[in-house]
Amino acid sequence: MAVYKRTYRRYDGPLTPQWSRFLVLTRYSLYTLFDSRPFTAFVVLSAIPLLLSGVLIYLSHSPMARTLLQLPGPIIKIDPKFFRQVLLNQGWLAFLMTAWAGPGLVAPDLANQALPLYLSRPFSRAEYVLGKMGVLFLLLSAITWLPVLLLFGLQAGLEAGWFKENYWIMGSIFLAGMLWISVISLLSLAISAWVRWRMVASAFLFGIFFVGAAFANMINGILNTSWGHLLNLGHLIFGVIWPKLFRVAVDAAGANPHARRPHLPPGMVALAPLPIPLWQACMVVVVACAVCLLLLNRRLRAREVVRG
Amino acid sequence: MSGQAQNRIVFENVSKFYGEVLGVNRVNLLLSAGVTSLVGPNGSGKTTLMNLMTGLIRPTNGAISVLGIAPSEPEKLARVVGYCTQFDSFPPSVTGREFIQDWLRLHGFNHQETSRLAEDALARVELTEAAGRKIAGYSKGMRQRIRLAQAISHHPTVLILDEPLNGLDPKARAASMALFEALGKEGMHVVISSHILHEVDRISDEVVLISSGYIVAEGKIPDVRTEVKEHPMQILVRCSQPGMLASRVFAQNHVVEAKLQNDGRGILIRTTNADEFYSLLNRLIVEDGMQIETVAPADDDVNSVYQYLIGSDGERI
Amino acid sequence: MNQAGTGAHMWITSQPWRLWGHQIMAIVRQELKHNFFTRRGTWIYLLAFGPVVVFAIDAIQTPGCAPCSLDEDTSLFAATFQLYYMRFGIFFGVMGIFAWLFRGQVVQRTLHYAFLAPLRRELLVIGKFLAGALMAIVLFGAGVLLSFSLVYWHFAARGYDYVFHGPGLHQLAVYLGVTALACIGYGAIFLTLTIIFKNPIIPGIAMLGWETFSGIFPAMLQRLSVSFYLKHLSPVSAPSDGILALLTVVTEPVAVWAAVLGLLLLAAAALALACARIRTLEISYSSEQ
Ligand SMILES: Nc1ncnc2c1ncn2[C@@H]1O[C@H](COP(=O)(O)OP(=O)(O)OP(=O)(O)O)[C@@H](O)[C@H]1O
Ligand SMILES: [Mg+2]
Repeated sequence: MAVYKRTYRRYDGPLTPQWSRFLVLTRYSLYTLFDSRPFTAFVVLSAIPLLLSGVLIYLSHSPMARTLLQLPGPIIKIDPKFFRQVLLNQGWLAFLMTAWAGPGLVAPDLANQALPLYLSRPFSRAEYVLGKMGVLFLLLSAITWLPVLLLFGLQAGLEAGWFKENYWIMGSIFLAGMLWISVISLLSLAISAWVRWRMVASAFLFGIFFVGAAFANMINGILNTSWGHLLNLGHLIFGVIWPKLFRVAVDAAGANPHARRPHLPPGMVALAPLPIPLWQACMVVVVACAVCLLLLNRRLRAREVVRG
Repeated sequence: MSGQAQNRIVFENVSKFYGEVLGVNRVNLLLSAGVTSLVGPNGSGKTTLMNLMTGLIRPTNGAISVLGIAPSEPEKLARVVGYCTQFDSFPPSVTGREFIQDWLRLHGFNHQETSRLAEDALARVELTEAAGRKIAGYSKGMRQRIRLAQAISHHPTVLILDEPLNGLDPKARAASMALFEALGKEGMHVVISSHILHEVDRISDEVVLISSGYIVAEGKIPDVRTEVKEHPMQILVRCSQPGMLASRVFAQNHVVEAKLQNDGRGILIRTTNADEFYSLLNRLIVEDGMQIETVAPADDDVNSVYQYLIGSDGERI
Repeated sequence: MNQAGTGAHMWITSQPWRLWGHQIMAIVRQELKHNFFTRRGTWIYLLAFGPVVVFAIDAIQTPGCAPCSLDEDTSLFAATFQLYYMRFGIFFGVMGIFAWLFRGQVVQRTLHYAFLAPLRRELLVIGKFLAGALMAIVLFGAGVLLSFSLVYWHFAARGYDYVFHGPGLHQLAVYLGVTALACIGYGAIFLTLTIIFKNPIIPGIAMLGWETFSGIFPAMLQRLSVSFYLKHLSPVSAPSDGILALLTVVTEPVAVWAAVLGLLLLAAAALALACARIRTLEISYSSEQ
C-alpha cells in the first residue's frame, strides 16, 4: 500500500472578483505601451490640438484678451460645427494611435502561441477580447470624447444661456466618439488576429481607410454614383453619421472632379448623385463590426488545426 | 593563411555580445578533423559559436576562419559547410524532397545532380519513404532528420549540428551517432552540440566545454582531464577496510573529501593530487598489508570533468 | 563522401556568371512557388483587379455606350490610373509583396536556409527583387490591361478605331510601361526598407506621405520620390482640381528618357543600399514581433 505524505496544499486564499479579472490584461498592456517613450510622447502631443481649441474658446469669450493680442472681433463661432471639427481632428489622431498600439495587443499573442496560456486560466475568450479592447477604449477615450466634453464644459461655463440651447451636443460628442472608437478598435483587433503580424496589421488598417477611399472615389467616378462610398468607412462615419449627430449639413457626396458627366437630352439638368442615406451608412458600419467579431471568434481559439 | 589553418576551424579571440548580453567571450579554439563536441548547459553559448562559424551572426571582436575561409563569404563557406540549426522551421507547404532539392538548386547543381544528391541524403537518414509528404505533417524526429539530410546533402567537409539528437528515438539516435562517427572517421569535421554528455563522449575525438560564454576546457577527454589537475579528482577504492583507509588518508592535506560507499566496502576519495595519493596507497598496501580489490578513477569521462568545471550536475542517463 | 560532389563543383567554381544566373533563377522560381498563388495574397489580387470589375460593370450597364464620349472616358481612365493605381493600388500591393520577401522569411524563421546556401547575399537580394517585380508587374499589368480593354471595348467600333488606328495602342504601352516602372521603383524602395528597418511599416507610411506631398517641395528633393518620375510619364493628363491637383500636376517638364533613367537609377541606388546592408545582416529571430 502506498502511503502519501500530504504536503501539497492548493491555494485557498482570497481571489480578485471574477467580473473584474479581465482588467489585468488591460493594466499590463497599458504598462507595456507606456514603456515606449515615443508612444508616451505621442499621447502627450495629441493633447496639443485640444489645448489650442481651449485657447480659441477662451479667446472668443474674452474681449480683453483679444484686445491685448490685437485681434479683431470674435475669431470663431463656437457651435456644433466647431465641436465636430475638434472631435474629427482627435479622431484622426486616435486612428494613428490605434494603428500603432492596436495590432501589438493581439498579434504577438497569436504569433507566439500565448493564447492557450491565457485560456487555460479561468479566463474566457470574451474576457480576453474585453481586456484588450479596454486598453484601446481607455486610451482613445482619453484623447477624443472625454477632453472634448471638457471643452464643452468650458464653453458652457463661459457663455451664459448657451448650455440650455446646446446641451444635446454632449450626447453627440459622446456617441460620435464612441462610435469611432468602437469601429477602429474592433477593426484593429480583428485584423491583427487575422494576419498575426503586427506591422502588416498596421498597414492593413491604413489600407482599409485609404485604399477604401480611393476605391470608393473610383467607383463613384466611373459609374457616376455615390454607392462607392459604401466601401469608404471613413466617409460613412465622418461624412454621413457624424453630421447627423451634430445636426450639420451632410457632406456633399460624389464631389469628384473625375466623375463622368451623364449625357442628357438638351434642356435637362444633371442631378448630382444623392448622398448615402443614414440607414445605409449605419448598416455598413454594423456589418463591418459584425465581420470583425466573427473574425475574432474564428481566430481567438486555444487550439487550431493546421492545414497541410 | 598557414597550411594548418587550411584544414582547421580557427577562432581567434572571438567575442559576441547581443547588445549587453554576453553570447561568448574571448574564445580561442582550434578544431581539427574528426568529431568535436561542444558541451555546456542551456544558454552557455553553443548555438552562438555555431552561428558565428557559419556566418549567420558576426563576431563583435576577433576573427574566425573555417578551413581558411572567412564566414563573411557565404558563397565559398557554404560549399564546405553543412549546418543543421536548432530552428525547427521550414518553408511553408514543401515536401521533404522539395525542401532538399530547392536548397540544392541554390548551390547551382543541375537537375540530375540535384535529384541524385537529394535521394542520397534522404536514404542516409532513412526518410526516402516519407519524402513525398509535406513537412508540416512530419513528426519532430522526422523534421530533425530531414534537416540533417539537408545539411549533408551537398557533401560538405564541415558538418555543424546543433543538438542533432533532440527528439530522436533510441533507434534513430543510434543510427545518427553511427553516421556522425563514420563521417568523422572519413576525415570530415563534425561539430556537435549537446548537453547530454553521456551520448556524445563515446563518439567524440575532442570535447569543448563551455559555460556562460567562456570556453572552460578543450581537448581529448584524457587531456582535458590533466589540464584541470588543480581540480579535485575522484578515485574509487574498493577494499575490505574502508574505514581504516579513510582515517589514514585524511591525514594528508591533498585529500579533500572521503566518502564511504553505502555497502561499506568502498570509499570515494576526492584529491587534488592524484599522484601523491597513488603513492600513499602503494605504501599502505606494502607497509600495512591493506587488502585492495580495485582502484579506479571515478571520473575519466566528460561527465565528471563537466561537473568539476561547470559546477553543476551533468545529466546522467 | 566529400568526393562525390566534386564533378559538379568543378563547373560551378569555374564559371561564376553561369552559376549566378542559375542561382538567381532558382531563387526566383522558389519565391514564385511560395508566394504567387497563396490565400495570403488574395487582397493583392483585389487591389489589382478591383478597377477591372468596376469597368466591367460600367461596360455592362451601358452597352454600346451611346451616351458617353470617348474623350471623357479616356480621361476617366487616366484619372483611375493616376489616382487609384499609381497612388494606392500599386503602392499598397507592392508594399505587401516586397515587404513579405525578406520579413516574411524572418517571421517564418526560414531566412537562415538562404543564408546558409553558397550564395552571394547580393544575389539573394537581386533574385528576390526580380521575383517580386515579376509578380507585381504581371498582376498590376494585367489589371491595367484588362481595365483599358474594357474601357474601349464598350465603345465597340469607335473604341476599336481609337485603339488600333488612333493613339490608343501607344497610350496602352505607356500605361504598361509606367506600371512596370512603378512596380520597380516602389519595389526596390520597399525591399530596402524591410532590410534596413525592423518595422518597415512606419517608414512605409512616411513614404506614402512623402510621395503624396513631395509636389510642394523644391524640385531637387522631388527627384527622390518615385511619383516625381511617374508624373512625367503619363500619356494623358488627368483632370484635376483642389487637393488632387497636388498629386497629378507636373511642375517642370522632364524628358521621358530622363524620367525613366532617373527612376531606374533611384531603384538601383536603393538596391545597392540593400546589398550593402544585407552583407552584414544577422539572423536573429527571437527579437521579432
Ligand atoms: N538573439 C539574441 N539576442 C540576445 N541574446 C541572445 C540572443 N541569442 C542568444 N542570446 C544569449 O546568448 C547566450 C548564449 O545563447 P546560446 O543560444 O548560444 O546558448 P546555447 O548554449 O545554444 O543554449 P541551449 O543549450 O539552450 O541551446 C544566452 O545567454 C542567450 O540568452
Ligand atoms: Mg542552442
